[in-house]
Amino acid sequence: MAHAAQVGLQDATSPIMEELITFHDHALMIIFLICFLVLYALFLTLTTKLTNTNISDAQEMETVWTILPAIILVLIALPSLRILYMTDEVNDPSLTIKSIGHQWYWTYEYTDYGGLIFNSYMLPPLFLEPGDLRLLDVDNRVVLPIEAPIRMMITSQDVLHSWAVPALGLKTDAIPGRLNQTTFTATRPGVYYGQCSEICGANHSFMPIVLELIPLKIFEMGPVFTL
Amino acid sequence: MAAPPEPGEPEERKLLGFLDVENTPCARHSILYGSLGSVVAGFGHFLFTSRIRRSCDVGVGGFILVTLGCWFHCRYNYAKQRIQERIAREEIKKKILYEGTHLDPERKHNGSSSN
Repeated sequence: MAHAAQVGLQDATSPIMEELITFHDHALMIIFLICFLVLYALFLTLTTKLTNTNISDAQEMETVWTILPAIILVLIALPSLRILYMTDEVNDPSLTIKSIGHQWYWTYEYTDYGGLIFNSYMLPPLFLEPGDLRLLDVDNRVVLPIEAPIRMMITSQDVLHSWAVPALGLKTDAIPGRLNQTTFTATRPGVYYGQCSEICGANHSFMPIVLELIPLKIFEMGPVFTL
Repeated sequence: MAAPPEPGEPEERKLLGFLDVENTPCARHSILYGSLGSVVAGFGHFLFTSRIRRSCDVGVGGFILVTLGCWFHCRYNYAKQRIQERIAREEIKKKILYEGTHLDPERKHNGSSSN
């Protein structure tokens, strides 16, 4: 989960998120250098003694400042498109979970191996145990195995919601009447938090998502299905 | 990357307020080499031409080019290293899983070499 006042990305828990962090670092370095150049140009503008206002014809400079941004955009776009297509790969998921957004809770359905359906409500502050996270912990977590491709089918029963888990690099809109799909493979066990990411009413900020990722062996023993 | 800084650890430093050079792999290395390149290029240009403003321009250009060059070189090697680590991790897992079974790659290899 994010720590207080965190601005940067959370640690990656899936290969896609690792790629996203790498791309973020790459783009940020390019942005930093452009900002540096612009600040230098601003400094020169503020300190120049040149006052000739009849300058015209700067063909070379105009060529450079047209072609160079095009090259920079290509350098940013190519890795971005690579990751975009990578996120759309569907590599034979082992498990399919349905996630249905409501005002203001999530319903999860494990229908592959039985008919487990449950709601996931945020724990109200009065019901928090010591160590629980305020506004993040839920009564029923989504328990999933690590190192297995998982497909999430996301929809909504009423208004727009969005199912997001930053540590896994996931954010998929829950749209009424539409079934959206996202797949992921988690690489590390743990508890990962997310929050609804599409404004959906008064309690939009109070319908979190909690994934509990456990080793496959333990998942197969059936802790989920003993609920 | 996402953990809050521990009491003994240095605070995160962000250049221009957003580039975290401490926690971004290769960032500190690239910026330091870029700064060195900038000083060498700018100062060298000044020694040859005695033009201050143009030397500053060369210095800034040198900083950008050297930083970019070091960045791409370092990130390429970092990506290669990560791929090698991932392959090694998978191979170790497979070895532990399949050792002694008919799927053991070493067994297959020894079998084919003895034939």
